[in-house]
Amino acid sequence: MKPLNFVALLLFIAGLVWVFTLSQSSVRQIQKTYYSVFSPMVAKSAQSQAFANDFVKEVEHSKDLERQLAQANSERDRFRLIAARSWALETENNELRNALAFKKETKFDIVPARVIRRQPQMWGKTIEINRGSETGLQKSMCVLASNGGLIGRVQLPGNEVSSVLLITDEVSQVSAKVEGTTEVGLIIGRRTTYGEAPRLRMRYLSKNAILRKGMKVYTDGRGDLFPADIPIGTIEDFEVGPVYGEAEIIPSVDLTNIKTVFVIADSNGE
Amino acid sequence: MYLYQFSLIGLLLLSCIIQQFLPTFSGWHDARILILPLVVLCGSATISTAGMLILTFLGGFLWDAQQVLLLEQGDPIVYHSTPDTLKFGYSIILYTLMGFLMQGVRPVFQAGKWYLSAALTGVAIFLYLFVEYLLRGFIIGGFSLDNGMVEQIGATSVMTMLASPFVFWALFRIAKICKHTIGTKH
Repeated sequence: MKPLNFVALLLFIAGLVWVFTLSQSSVRQIQKTYYSVFSPMVAKSAQSQAFANDFVKEVEHSKDLERQLAQANSERDRFRLIAARSWALETENNELRNALAFKKETKFDIVPARVIRRQPQMWGKTIEINRGSETGLQKSMCVLASNGGLIGRVQLPGNEVSSVLLITDEVSQVSAKVEGTTEVGLIIGRRTTYGEAPRLRMRYLSKNAILRKGMKVYTDGRGDLFPADIPIGTIEDFEVGPVYGEAEIIPSVDLTNIKTVFVIADSNGE
Repeated sequence: MYLYQFSLIGLLLLSCIIQQFLPTFSGWHDARILILPLVVLCGSATISTAGMLILTFLGGFLWDAQQVLLLEQGDPIVYHSTPDTLKFGYSIILYTLMGFLMQGVRPVFQAGKWYLSAALTGVAIFLYLFVEYLLRGFIIGGFSLDNGMVEQIGATSVMTMLASPFVFWALFRIAKICKHTIGTKH
């Protein structure tokens, strides 16, 4: 072995030992520094993401578009376009109305935020939002949808943007209860692949629990991470294992199509 | 020679920025171009073993700073089963293994057959993602292997591989500016 390679190998091994013995707080500090440096670019990158998605959709629907262009002069299409436009406006209006109503009605002190990027990581289920420590966001703050359903919690707050870990990620855990029962358990994300609807598992339920499809699941407020009584989802299926019961949960929020979220800045309210 | 090595590190940092701008093709298996691993792989084919070790260390370190999930745990009485996550630094080892793979075909690359190395980047990215997926399954639990996952890894590998000629072109340009010789054996 060449002397230079030997020295490089020694340095490499020493570096590996250093990295693998880093404390969690040191790793968090490294990630925070990295995120602070690169997060200003995240907002800009969201635009390129939107462009790519639009491009793919446009390619997929190019034949439809051609047909529509050919009939562009007909009155019927004109009215269809007008109707489509007013439908989009109505949807947007309803969404904003819901968001406004949610902000007025909620008992929490909340910070509204817009989703700027979905799933930036290969495996981890995260989103990025356009609010960060400059607007008071801190790690582990709870994130809700406009219908009040639980989305996840702030995993890494940057200055202007933050990363939110969704409840559907495998490493996410939420202490929860089933409505109308004394059953409590932990909600854990289930691994899904491309095109599969996100699902959750509720573990550590008692074996003799009487649970039916459609029962609602809420946060129970234990464990210092999430406030109580936030909707998580509904039970789809219940299985009894050798030690515990386990339920499949459909999330109350369509996590694949979130546009606006609300971060609970203070669960005690104003 | 050292100027080229430092330029590679600069390119690695630049790829961290570019990575933020590269979109996910949600219409095609959530495919994405992994530019940072690609720079590490392509760079590994153009430098000595010692340089490769430095490059893979830095690449893996930066990648994990971006990708590894760290969670604040709640009350251990309630959250009694702490979820295990991949240890910070695991990518360094995987990158180094891929780097050695690229070094293995370096004589072919030096002979001017860069396209073979470009094809190998796709294979290496596929192996990397596959091993990463297996590791996640092993550590977090709930291992499952289905077509959707293989297609997602495959689509990402193909997209990344298609970008490799551009990275090689950039490396050749940098080598020319730095007066570093990449291909010598004919």
